Amino acid sequence: MRHKIADFIRYRDIVWYRTLAGLKSEARQNFLGYVWFLLEPAITTAIMYVVYVLIFQYGGGANRIVLLLVGTIVWQWFESSTMQGMMGIKSKLHIMTHFTLPKYIFPLVGIFTSTWKFLCIFCVLLVYCAICGYTPNIHFLWLPLVLATQLLLIIGCALPLAVGVAYFNDLTTVVSSIFRLLMFLSGVFFTASFVPNQSPSFVPLHAQIYFFMNPMAGLIESYRYIIMWKQGPNFWALFVAADYGLAFLIIGMVMSSYVNGKILKRVSG
Amino acid sequence: MLMEKSSNASVAKPAQPLISVRNVALCYRYQKSIFARHKAKIWALHDVSFNLFEGEKLGIIGRNGSGKSTLMKILAKIFETDAGKVTYSRPLHVQLLSLGVGFEGSLSGRENAVLNGLLLGKNRRHMLSRLEKIKDFSELGEFFDMPVSTYSSGMGARLGFAVAMETEPEVLLIDEVLGVGDARFATKSYNALQEKFSGNRTVVLISHDAATIQKMCTRAVWIEKGRTIMEGDVKTVAAAYLKAINADDPNAVRELRPD
Repeated sequence: MRHKIADFIRYRDIVWYRTLAGLKSEARQNFLGYVWFLLEPAITTAIMYVVYVLIFQYGGGANRIVLLLVGTIVWQWFESSTMQGMMGIKSKLHIMTHFTLPKYIFPLVGIFTSTWKFLCIFCVLLVYCAICGYTPNIHFLWLPLVLATQLLLIIGCALPLAVGVAYFNDLTTVVSSIFRLLMFLSGVFFTASFVPNQSPSFVPLHAQIYFFMNPMAGLIESYRYIIMWKQGPNFWALFVAADYGLAFLIIGMVMSSYVNGKILKRVSG
Repeated sequence: MLMEKSSNASVAKPAQPLISVRNVALCYRYQKSIFARHKAKIWALHDVSFNLFEGEKLGIIGRNGSGKSTLMKILAKIFETDAGKVTYSRPLHVQLLSLGVGFEGSLSGRENAVLNGLLLGKNRRHMLSRLEKIKDFSELGEFFDMPVSTYSSGMGARLGFAVAMETEPEVLLIDEVLGVGDARFATKSYNALQEKFSGNRTVVLISHDAATIQKMCTRAVWIEKGRTIMEGDVKTVAAAYLKAINADDPNAVRELRPD
C-alpha cells in the first residue's frame, strides 16, 4: 500500500513536470509566446463579430458575441484536450519502452497542458464578459464544479480513445469527424431554447431530450446559465455529464490495464 | 538445441534466485492493416531460462538480433511474456539504464534531471537532494540551467549518465552503454560504472562483446536466436561463445576483440 501511494505521488510529479514542459515548448515555439494564450480568444471574438454581427446581422450585439464566445471556448477546451489526450499513448510509445509506467500518464499530460491553456483563456473570457455587463455573481461559485465535471468528461473520453488509437490509427480521423458533428449539435452557436420542443410523430422522444443526451450540450448551457443568466447550473445536465465521464473512465481503465504489457510489443510496418 | 549447464561455477550462490526466468517466449506483433503483407507475428524469444542471484553481476551475451534487449525489457517489467514465467523473489525495483530517453527539450538540465529521475523510479525529494552531485558529475556548468534543446548530443548523454548514477535501483540493467561522451568522460563514466559493479548491487549487463562481459561479470548467459544456449561461469560461457562465433565466421573475432 505504501509503495502504491509513493508511486502515485511519483506519477503525479511526472505529469506535472511534463505538463510544464508542454506549456513551455508551446510558448517558445512562437515569437509572441504566452501572449498567444490571450490573443487567440481575441481573434475568435473578432471573427464572431464579423460573421454574426456584420454579415448575418444577428440581433443582440455584444450579448450575442458573449453567448457564442462561451460556447466556442468551452467546446474548444473539450475538443483540443480530448484530441491531445487521445494521441498521448501512441506518440509516446518510444518513451514507454524504456520505463515501467502506467499508460494513463501521457494522455493526462496532453489533457492538462491544454487545460492550463484553457484556464488562461477562460479568465480572459470572464473579464471580457464583465466588460460587456455580465459581472461576476454569487452563482460563479458553481463554476469550479462545472469545470471539474467537464474535466472528468474529457479524461473519461480521452483514455479509451488513447488505447484505441494506439491499435487503430484510423480512429483519429473517425473521432475528428464525430467532433465536427458534435460541435454543431452541442449548442455552440445557439442555445437550448432554439431546439424545438416537439419532434415528428415517428420519433418517440422530443428533440430537447435528444439534445441534452449529449453531455457537452448540458455543460455549455450550464456555463451560460451561470455567466449570463445569473442562475445556478443545470444540475441534471452536470449529473449526466459526470456519469458519461465516469463510465468512459472505467472502460478506459479496464482497457489500459488489459493492454498494459501488450501494447508496446506492437511493431508498425 | 541442447541446454548445457556448466557445473564448475566459481561463485558461491545463495539457493534462492532473486529473479528466476523459466522458458520465456515473446513475440512482437505487426500493426494490423488490410493491406499488410507481412507475417502477423515475429518471435523474438523462443525459450529462455536462467537465474539471477542477489548481488551478482550477470552478463548476457549473444549476437545482434539474438533477443538480448527484448529480454532486458521483460526483466524490467515493460513487456509481458507470451509464454513461460518470470518470478521475482520479492517486490523489486528493476531499472533499465537508458541515457537521455524522455528528456524534454524545453526544460532545463536541472528540471530534466528531476523528471528523468522520476521516470527512473525515484521520488522528487530524492532527486532534488542529488541535483548538485548531478551538476558536478555531468560537468555542464552554467548549461545545467539552460534548456536541454541547446545541448550537444554529448552533453545530453553526460546529463543522462549523471542522472542514472544517482538512481539506485535494486537491479540495474545495462544495455551496452559504456563509452559516453568524449574520451575523458568515457573513462570517468566507466569508472563510475565499475564502482556500481564492485558494490553489492545486482547488475545485468548485455553485450555482443565477450571481452566486455568477461571484464565486468562473474557469471554469464549465452543467448542465440531467442534460446538459452548456456548458463554458467563467465570464462566457460565466453570461451564457448567465441568458439561458436569463430566456427561460423572467422572475421567476427576482430569485432569481438577491439583491443
